[in-house]
Amino acid sequence: MISDELSTEFESFQGELKSFVLRMTASVQDAEDIVQETYLKARSKINTFRGESSLKTWVFSIASNLAKDLLKSKKRWPETVTDICREEALGNRQFFQEAMRIRETSPQGKFEIKEHIAFCFTCVSKSLPLEQHLVLLLKEVYGFKVKEIAQIINNTEAMVKYYMHVSRSRMIEVFDHRCSLINKEGICHQCTELNGIFNPKQKAQEEVAKIEMARAATDKSKEELFDLRMKILQELDPFESGAAELQLHHLEHNRRVMEKFLEENEQGRPIQRK
Amino acid sequence: MKNAQPTQEGKAVTTKTVFSRETSISNSISADAGIVWALLTNAADYPRWNSTVVSIKGEIKQGQTIELKSTLDEKRTFKLRVKEFEAEKRLVWGDAQGNRTYSLSKKEAGGVRFSMTEKIGGPLFPLFAGMIPSFDESFEQFAADLKKEAETIQKSRK
Repeated sequence: MISDELSTEFESFQGELKSFVLRMTASVQDAEDIVQETYLKARSKINTFRGESSLKTWVFSIASNLAKDLLKSKKRWPETVTDICREEALGNRQFFQEAMRIRETSPQGKFEIKEHIAFCFTCVSKSLPLEQHLVLLLKEVYGFKVKEIAQIINNTEAMVKYYMHVSRSRMIEVFDHRCSLINKEGICHQCTELNGIFNPKQKAQEEVAKIEMARAATDKSKEELFDLRMKILQELDPFESGAAELQLHHLEHNRRVMEKFLEENEQGRPIQRK
Repeated sequence: MKNAQPTQEGKAVTTKTVFSRETSISNSISADAGIVWALLTNAADYPRWNSTVVSIKGEIKQGQTIELKSTLDEKRTFKLRVKEFEAEKRLVWGDAQGNRTYSLSKKEAGGVRFSMTEKIGGPLFPLFAGMIPSFDESFEQFAADLKKEAETIQKSRK
């Protein structure tokens, strides 16, 4: 394969690659850097590509390795990430001022509950061990087959199946406990709460009813509800959606809060409230 | 002394002597050895699928020490060293009182034969033998849980 062919093919899945790396790192800057580095690496190593997998699988393996290199020394986020970040946001006037400015001026600044569901998953899934997180995204959001994921993470198909199963089970359990959209006793209402702030004229229940996962909450199994949650992620490009700028602003906030939280907890000191 | 030889699928067999006790179990699992091995060696994941384990702390790797709490005696923490670790074949952990051995053998027709044996004993064994509960039920539950979980994962989507 020659470099020109690589460029053409790379372009066809670059958006997916960038959103995948964003969902791994929760950082726009890291996502952009890793995608660029992936391209340069793929270009310089194109002679070693033997066609044993698709080019897309091969490129995703380069990006996955770069993301792993970046993340392996960092602590994983807690499952309660959105609770911790909510507390911090409430005391951070600047965060809300900037969010409101984006809401009012940006073409990608509208708040939608389904966008927040995807954002929430990006944060909470960072509580999974790194390898499990990687496998879950590749399988459930980006639709790679077990065999392809085994090539991407350089492990056996058996291990991929194990990671897939464990990570799914864990996320199903976490969201069943937390998400009030699928469980009346769920402890997190952040999406409807934020909808009330950004869209004060909307009726939250009507907005919730637009979400297939929420409508199906009483009829479908936890497994099926998780599949519907994944469908939301599959259909959303976090860089191109109508809420992209607002959600990326929120994600950047959460990433900074988490970095501070993990650093302070590592040192045994509680996080300073503003 | 004869080794405890399980004869019935998924049924534990215990043999006793004055100075030792050995419990064994064996069953067939329709899953890749890699999946069974992943379940046996991921410490933190045990309580999710194994109803006989309260918790395992540490890493199940050659030479590492793990802390295991079992439903047989939830108040007690067993500090065990991983003595043998041969991927997808054999895992042994234990302490001065005894060893637990897990073995996997691939079957020609697919799937694996899983075996688990625990031998406890020593010169002082007769003094505390009466205080150690039977492992039979716990072994049978362990083997059944492992089979169920491994086969569920095996069937997961391609």
